[in-house]
Amino acid sequence: MRRIGISLERVSDEALLAGLMTGDPEIAVAFVRRFQRRVFGVAIAVVGDVQLAEDIAQQTFERACRHAQVYDPRRGSVPTWLAAIAHNLAIDAVRARKATPVDPVDLENMMETIADTPERHALSAETAVELRRVVGSLPREQARAVVLAGIYGMTAQQVADFEKIPLGTAKTRIRSAMAKIRASLAIRQADP
Amino acid sequence: MTGNGVFTCGQFRGIVAELALGLLSARERAEAMDHLEHCPACREHVHELTATSDALLGLVPGSEPPVGFEDRVLDRLGLGSGRRPRQGGLWRRFALAGAAAATGLALGGGGWALGASVGRPAPVAPIVSPAHPGLRTADLASSGHSLGQVYLHTGKSPWLYMAVDAEGHSGTVHCQLQRADGSTAKVGSFALNAKGYGSWGSPYPAGSSQVTGVRLLNPDGTVLASAAFHHG
Repeated sequence: MRRIGISLERVSDEALLAGLMTGDPEIAVAFVRRFQRRVFGVAIAVVGDVQLAEDIAQQTFERACRHAQVYDPRRGSVPTWLAAIAHNLAIDAVRARKATPVDPVDLENMMETIADTPERHALSAETAVELRRVVGSLPREQARAVVLAGIYGMTAQQVADFEKIPLGTAKTRIRSAMAKIRASLAIRQADP
Repeated sequence: MTGNGVFTCGQFRGIVAELALGLLSARERAEAMDHLEHCPACREHVHELTATSDALLGLVPGSEPPVGFEDRVLDRLGLGSGRRPRQGGLWRRFALAGAAAATGLALGGGGWALGASVGRPAPVAPIVSPAHPGLRTADLASSGHSLGQVYLHTGKSPWLYMAVDAEGHSGTVHCQLQRADGSTAKVGSFALNAKGYGSWGSPYPAGSSQVTGVRLLNPDGTVLASAAFHHG
């Protein structure tokens, strides 16, 4: 019990999301401040254009407000949910532009980043360390394929074209990488 | 192995990663959905790979948006500068201990529990602000044991939110408000899952008398847990 009001920054992610539905500007400000780095980070990583990334990030918060009542915590945390919304919007934008989805230099930077130390990142440190370890231990071609598909949203055909490999090989690389990452997370979940 | 629809399970396993990553064409996706409708094992597999896909996004580094982003979002939401709270000098980093404690309740949900567990709470850089005068929190307790947390927002559009972790209880529970004038009112119902976890939020009528307590009632009307709010 508190005799005085509590800081909005101490409110859980889920409670803040529920509060969004009231249209209270203070709640909305707290919500945006808490998640804007995460949301914009996903958007800019995918589209590589600041103006477009901002528009996607704005749309993400708009959708979060509109669909707050259907958020289901059993299907993922609030930041995970927001990241998925931003990612879907960003992929749609890239596909609509029919642009080359990723610059090879950006891809190399991303490959280094995701295998980097976990500071400042959104996953809990232990999970991030494990996930980075698994991605880092994948054969290089599988890691590239899963980053191209999972982060940049390239289809298997686009991965094949980008990597200059047969479609079947691209599919196999994506599938193998996802299976290894999934297995690693499943072990962590079973034996925390 | 099942062979309903277009795919067999073996064939489905060949495209499941692309399905989870959202890479399939509309036609391929429709065929995959047709198989999933009849195959719980493959559904579970998709859930796990979707959580894997979500976890990958968690490795993307955060990035500060351009200056003025917050204002533009608020404008887009129809909550523009005229309604904004003042915020001068409040930008500094803050350890997320409170939020971590508040969100520390276990989540249930089969294959989705992985997605829930890997991304929370977000160690971004939340901002310290003054206490929100209309927002209160209290433990939801039973016989001295905490079963969760209730947030009560008493502004112009009052709302409440609760997260419950009541192991040994499941099924529908009812939320009842208690007011200072002695009146009570049910404001809604929600379900606790098999592990006793549930979370729920709802607006409630402002009324003329302050809310002094929140009770969680079993279907037979007995009190599962209660929270007390003192307005000072």
